[in-house]
Amino acid sequence: MGEPKGTSIYFQIRRLFNSPERLLAVFFLSLLSLLVITPLVEIVWDALSYQEYDLAYRPEAEVGGFTLFHLERVFTGRLSRALFYKPLVNSLLIGAGVTVLAVSMGSALAWLMVRTDLPYRGFFGAMAVVPYMMPSWVLALAWMTMFKNDRIGGSDGLFTFYFGVQPPDWIAYGMFPIIITLALHYYAYAYLLVSGALLTVDSELEEAGAICGLSRFQRLWRITAPLLLPAIGSAVVLTFIRILGTFGTPALLGLPVRFFTFSTQIFVSLNAGSTGDGYVLAVVLVLMAIVFIYINTRLLGVRRSFVTVTGKGFRQRRIPLGRWRMPLAILIGFFIVSTVFAPLILLAWESLLITPGEYGLGKLTLHFWIGEAGEDFVDGDAGVLRNDQILAALWNSLRLGFFAAAINGVAGLLIGYAIVRTRGSMMSRGLESIAFAPYIFPSIALGAIYLGIFSTGYGPMPALYGTFTLLVLITTVKNLPFTSRTGISALLQIDKSLEEAARVQGISWIKRMFRIIIPMSTSGLVAGMMLTFITAMRELSLIILLLTPSTMVMTGLIFGYESEDKVQHAGAVTLILVLIIIGVNLLVRRFFGDGLTSLRQS
Amino acid sequence: MTLSKTLKTLAISAGLGLMLGGLAQAQMAKQPAPPPEMDAWLKAAKLGSYDTGKHDWAEIEKLAMEEGEVIIYSASSRMAKVASAFMEKYPGIKATSYDLGSVKTIEKTVREQNANLFNVDIVTTGGSGQVIHELWAKNRIVNFVPDMFYDRIPAENREPVLIRVLEAVVFMYNGEAYPDQPPVNNMWELTEEPWKGKVVMKDPLQSLTNYMGVATLVQHADELAAAYKRHTGKDIVLSDGVPDAGYEYILRLLRNDLVILKSGSKSAAASGKPGQANPPTSFGAMTYYRYNFSRGLVNAFYKDIDPAAKIIYPTFTAIARQAPNPNAAKLFTAFLLGSTELTAGTKLEKPYKEGRSAELLLGLLPYFEPGSKSPRDDVPFPEGGDAWDAMKAWTVDPDFMFREGPKVRDFWIQESAG
Repeated sequence: MGEPKGTSIYFQIRRLFNSPERLLAVFFLSLLSLLVITPLVEIVWDALSYQEYDLAYRPEAEVGGFTLFHLERVFTGRLSRALFYKPLVNSLLIGAGVTVLAVSMGSALAWLMVRTDLPYRGFFGAMAVVPYMMPSWVLALAWMTMFKNDRIGGSDGLFTFYFGVQPPDWIAYGMFPIIITLALHYYAYAYLLVSGALLTVDSELEEAGAICGLSRFQRLWRITAPLLLPAIGSAVVLTFIRILGTFGTPALLGLPVRFFTFSTQIFVSLNAGSTGDGYVLAVVLVLMAIVFIYINTRLLGVRRSFVTVTGKGFRQRRIPLGRWRMPLAILIGFFIVSTVFAPLILLAWESLLITPGEYGLGKLTLHFWIGEAGEDFVDGDAGVLRNDQILAALWNSLRLGFFAAAINGVAGLLIGYAIVRTRGSMMSRGLESIAFAPYIFPSIALGAIYLGIFSTGYGPMPALYGTFTLLVLITTVKNLPFTSRTGISALLQIDKSLEEAARVQGISWIKRMFRIIIPMSTSGLVAGMMLTFITAMRELSLIILLLTPSTMVMTGLIFGYESEDKVQHAGAVTLILVLIIIGVNLLVRRFFGDGLTSLRQS
Repeated sequence: MTLSKTLKTLAISAGLGLMLGGLAQAQMAKQPAPPPEMDAWLKAAKLGSYDTGKHDWAEIEKLAMEEGEVIIYSASSRMAKVASAFMEKYPGIKATSYDLGSVKTIEKTVREQNANLFNVDIVTTGGSGQVIHELWAKNRIVNFVPDMFYDRIPAENREPVLIRVLEAVVFMYNGEAYPDQPPVNNMWELTEEPWKGKVVMKDPLQSLTNYMGVATLVQHADELAAAYKRHTGKDIVLSDGVPDAGYEYILRLLRNDLVILKSGSKSAAASGKPGQANPPTSFGAMTYYRYNFSRGLVNAFYKDIDPAAKIIYPTFTAIARQAPNPNAAKLFTAFLLGSTELTAGTKLEKPYKEGRSAELLLGLLPYFEPGSKSPRDDVPFPEGGDAWDAMKAWTVDPDFMFREGPKVRDFWIQESAG
């Protein structure tokens, strides 16, 4: 406490201003604490105090006073089973099911693509990442079109239309289709991470195994698999946490059979105005994510990498598949068709139906694409290509993607710079953890938190609820873990000496950034931005609670159309969204290389 | 003896307490004296206690033109159509309607005002309990009734807050599958085996309308009990822990595998899609009957179902506290109620949205359809809408909603999880 504190603080401050990396670290550390930690504290507080709507139960209570009322309701009260325990079990089951399925499919695919002589690898490789670019619930929409039965009345699904048989409820709704459709979306994570790791495994290691007399399977199991464990571990964590926070698919496929998950209960609680319950659930979700990450790191060890890259010769040899070559290619082809093409074709088809449920080729129309507004035809809405609402939402989505990507690119680079250049200090570690923190917030929970925090103003900052800025803010924060990772890995590759050389010559920090750092990290930067763009364009869970008509984006609009049973509009708009995301991705790849590879490093 | 006497006394006093509590609640729904800054605004805008009940519409229109704008928070997407019709009539005033849904309309109004933001002029939404208790009784909105309509609107439709349109929640069946008469005559039949998995409704947790409908069923527990006896000839036996026949009805619907859907459109399509062999019954907003005309559905109302065929819920409209454009808001309120030339004897011709009909209906136009009723008692029904008067009605009670609503909701959460 005592002695030369005055000089020490003075010294520290001077030191701070003399080194931009420290200044940046302090700046981002405080900004992110404000954006990530305070919100959490705030909702914990809200969950532990009386809110206005509690007065129906506790008329004598004082709004704002401390209480365990919400905790009782959620954990021990009569409601706890419906509100907490059942959804918890459902969420965990879905999380486990999807993770097992998605990670094994993704890893198997990665192995086939990287290490074998599977034919059409280029085409398969390009297609395998497409599901990642679609909103996760596109498959759920397609599933509904295909398999819905007469339980929900209304029009028939395609299956019933052609085969005259109603699929049983367990196929049409609930746990089974939720797991299948989510797994077919989320396998892309595992695929990207594992194929990235496989690329660094020297096949000589396997050959050494062969020399020692290990069978092909033993080599895979005893040599390759352990080396891939860290990547598979990351894929498990990434997938599992995403699933806990995912909202669209369970909401679509769960409700008809009253299958509720954590995320749907949070949505319902917050929408119905009992925010206390919703916040308790949101905090539990965050805690679960933390526990899960902790267990995972403990199991796999803190250092999540093995040294596989050495100075010696490095070779990748492809394993011949022999007579399995074609059957496997057909299998993968079928997989690609059912995850990429079938959903899009189904949506396109649906957008052309005159009457939902009548799929005959003679009963198609382009009205829902190009028709003019007119009465007596599905509420008189104009076709999607003439519809101002859709164009406005498209513009909002593009703006959201662009701004979030741009801000994230810059922030990711600067954070990476600050972390790498102050490496070894407390500050560096602190910043690295806090930049990673948004990752542990399941999307819907973060949305709930921001809804609570930003609906009132704080000091000079006005209430952001209902503004576009808030959407950009939350999207940026949520994607920061990815972009700061790419920032770090880009900066790690640029040796300090380059900058020092420039510094000796008296070149200013700004100039050094623009002349050295930015040009040398462009590819990583672009990759990070591309990821943010894709995620922002297809995001629903994160922003569903924050959307208002004037800030409506494509995904929210699709959700609305789906709710209003305007299936043709929903199909058409989804198709447009997916094609735009793919198109932009191709464009960027053309100029800057593969945008999605960056995920392999995270 | 003494003990039971004591218990009896206790029970009576508890009952009295409840009643008094109810009275206190009802009395609580009173607008308190406005704070100074609001009072200054009321004075300048000639609203609240400064509203003499006589309005100089030439003056209001002139001031409204100067304001040049009116912002509406609404729970209805059709309000955008009203806004554009309003702009056609008053080209100098820009009307912007935000379709927020009822929950967010109320929430946004409250949150903005708590943060001292006064952006909105008109708040129009359903949600009886909250509109009366959380908005009106807390000085967040001000009632305004244009003087020329005062005598044409029954008191219950203009006090304490003006009603813009009355709508109802009803049971609907497939008129193609049951051409002669509805498949059931008593609500309790829907809780029996033949209707297992064959009753659908939009999730009341996601729909204020259905939430009010369900809660109003609970409120009329005694009548439901009587209807049960008429149907089965026996007194109803309540399940464990269920307080009355109202809750029991909800419970049995849920246990009979009620199908919960995400939207009213889907629920209407479920019962109303033609060509179904065994179509379900749906519970939801009566206005979805309009899909019979726009989407080819074949829904029909249970007009005589025992004990009540429709549950009326009002949509209110009021001027927001410290609205930046109070005169434009007044003008818009008058526009919402239609033309003064419209009377009970007026013949309106289809299509209503064109020509003379549109000129007479003004802001009523988008809501001029079967299943809706104007608050005025001198507006004729649209074609197919006269079923309204024939159907026995319960009306959503703001006090009950405020006091009991959350408990009904919790009951639903608990029991719907199965």
